[in-house]
Amino acid sequence: MIIYLYDGSFDGLLTAIFDSFTDKRPLDIFRQEHYQPQLFDEIISVTTENDKAQRVADSILAKLSFDTYQRLYYLYLSELPQCDYTALCYLKMCYRYGASIYLAKNNPLIHRVETYCRKVTLEAHRFTGFVRFIELAPMIFYSKIEPDHNILPLLQGHFVRRFSDQKFMIHDLKRQYALVYDLHTPYFTPLTIEEGEHLLTSKTTDPYQQLFAVFFDATTITQRRNLRLQKFWMPKRYWQHIDEAHD
Amino acid sequence: MTITEKLAILADAAKYDVSCSSSSSKRVARKGNLGSAAPAGICHSFTPDGRCISLLKILMNNYCIYDCAYCVNRASNDIPRAAFTVEEVVDLTMNFYRRNYIEGLFLSSAVIKNPTYTMERMVLVLQNLRETQHFNGYIHVKAIPGASLELIDKAGSYADRMSVNIELPSQRSLQLLAPDKSKNDILLPMQNISQQIVQNRAERKTLKKSPHYVPAGQSTQMIIGASGESDLDILRLSAALYDKFSMKRVYYSAYVPINQDKNLPVVAPPMARENRLYQSDWLIRVYGFQAHELLDEKTPNLDMDYDPKTVWALNHMEQFPVEINQAPFKILIRIPGIGIRGAQKIVSARKISPLDFNDLKKMGLSVKRAQYFITCKGRYYGTVSCEPLKIRRALKPQKTASPHTGYEQLTIFDQLAALNGEI
Ligand code: SF4
Repeated sequence: MIIYLYDGSFDGLLTAIFDSFTDKRPLDIFRQEHYQPQLFDEIISVTTENDKAQRVADSILAKLSFDTYQRLYYLYLSELPQCDYTALCYLKMCYRYGASIYLAKNNPLIHRVETYCRKVTLEAHRFTGFVRFIELAPMIFYSKIEPDHNILPLLQGHFVRRFSDQKFMIHDLKRQYALVYDLHTPYFTPLTIEEGEHLLTSKTTDPYQQLFAVFFDATTITQRRNLRLQKFWMPKRYWQHIDEAHD
Repeated sequence: MTITEKLAILADAAKYDVSCSSSSSKRVARKGNLGSAAPAGICHSFTPDGRCISLLKILMNNYCIYDCAYCVNRASNDIPRAAFTVEEVVDLTMNFYRRNYIEGLFLSSAVIKNPTYTMERMVLVLQNLRETQHFNGYIHVKAIPGASLELIDKAGSYADRMSVNIELPSQRSLQLLAPDKSKNDILLPMQNISQQIVQNRAERKTLKKSPHYVPAGQSTQMIIGASGESDLDILRLSAALYDKFSMKRVYYSAYVPINQDKNLPVVAPPMARENRLYQSDWLIRVYGFQAHELLDEKTPNLDMDYDPKTVWALNHMEQFPVEINQAPFKILIRIPGIGIRGAQKIVSARKISPLDFNDLKKMGLSVKRAQYFITCKGRYYGTVSCEPLKIRRALKPQKTASPHTGYEQLTIFDQLAALNGEI
């Protein structure tokens, strides 16, 4: 099998799509860090070129639709099995039948695209609620998250608008990078787990954390325990960083 | 008393109010101010009862002069009492908000001294949050029946949502169980808020700059199963509330027996009843059903074994099966098990090519109930023939009692349908 390997950036994916688009051989697309070498694979290393990426983006926006472009981005952020290859196949399908092919919800490829995109947008929505800030110093806040998908870019707008008067950082421990807002332009920066822990050493406890835990317990109607429902809405894998959560 | 102790008492005292929604407000963020409101609403946590925490839901105090039979805070109960100061509520709201624990505040209160005094204290909190702290998050405030309308108006100018609880489904029950509250004290502010909302909407159409008044609308709540009304009575009342007071939502709260009282039942109504009422409420609000299609004088109560849409369909088999490739949207959503989202998928996919039964599964639709009420390209796929009795038997639920309370619980799908309206 021919394997197109790219650097893991979205522009990289678009470049890989550009390079592989007319390749008729059986192929697959992977990010370097996710790829496990197989015996008969033939590797093609993709060099990210902004110009190629831009041409792919322009063409999608001109000939297909903004929604199509956005779906490619969500597929990219999903980091789910075969998401990069799915993006390529979906795009080919759109060029063949038009962007309205997305209406065909019974088509297995469309169904997969829809499912993957929904997982990403659902998780992003959930984390607008599940992010927990701890106050490191007056008006400086820190939060750590470990989402399934790479949703930090999707959280940026919401958190910056809402907390425009406080400095904050949301740290994705899984992907070891953070969204930083210091009252000016927000940006992303690499940040290791150790660096994150180091930030927290200045802080022992936040009194409001305990107060919120008290509220959580007091507001529960114990006669109506329904743990299944609780875990349906707030899956247990997220609880690690949601301090008040317990069943 | 420490703030922790107060919070424990006054959150506990407020918890039986079911509404925690933070949705449908359009408060946009302003740079330099704290807060915004998301139109879709955001849940920040989920408690072991499966409910969402979206707002800091508390009472300002629980020193009540009234004695409503069903309420923990009634004057005759011997319970710990506490009162927040204005500053304490403001401080908790701001600091919880900054840590992303909440979407905002849901402020209610027991009646201390008199209704107007009580409301005054609540308005002080709102005023402080909006004008001193420039807090731009979500605020839901209860209007206290009997408080001056001026104060209620003022609260409305700060709040995203207001509610006056109708409390019980009939005037008779209200007299019996909440003797201090009159029907008029409840309906008057309700009507007032609804008029102000309508007026404000009209003003904002011509004058975009005029300030919001309760932009997320008005809601109310009634307690189910503490008194003898039938589900038909309840749904008729909600229909009237939606209609007359342009209610955004009517909430149903299954009575939890806390007090001993000769006028109260000793056992709680099943949670299933609350779920079925919510399902019916969705069908009436969103699916175009009329209350009398779901219930009538002969069967005034909802079926606990089958959801209300299935019951309706089984009683109207002359309208089924429906051809999935032809039926218009408003008929598709009447098929049991096909919700709004499912119907949207069908309508969109059949534009590309006609659908067969397998296509429904490929789209991720559940055909468990729908299979008996549809044809695909003219073919019927149900596992039993299309006759009401047989379908009824095929759909008979496996009973499961909740391990915690011993009460019967509906399946998780039924519970979800009650919450998200995909029924
Ligand atoms: S007025 Fe009635 S329902 Fe409200 S707190 Fe007092 S006793 Fe409870």
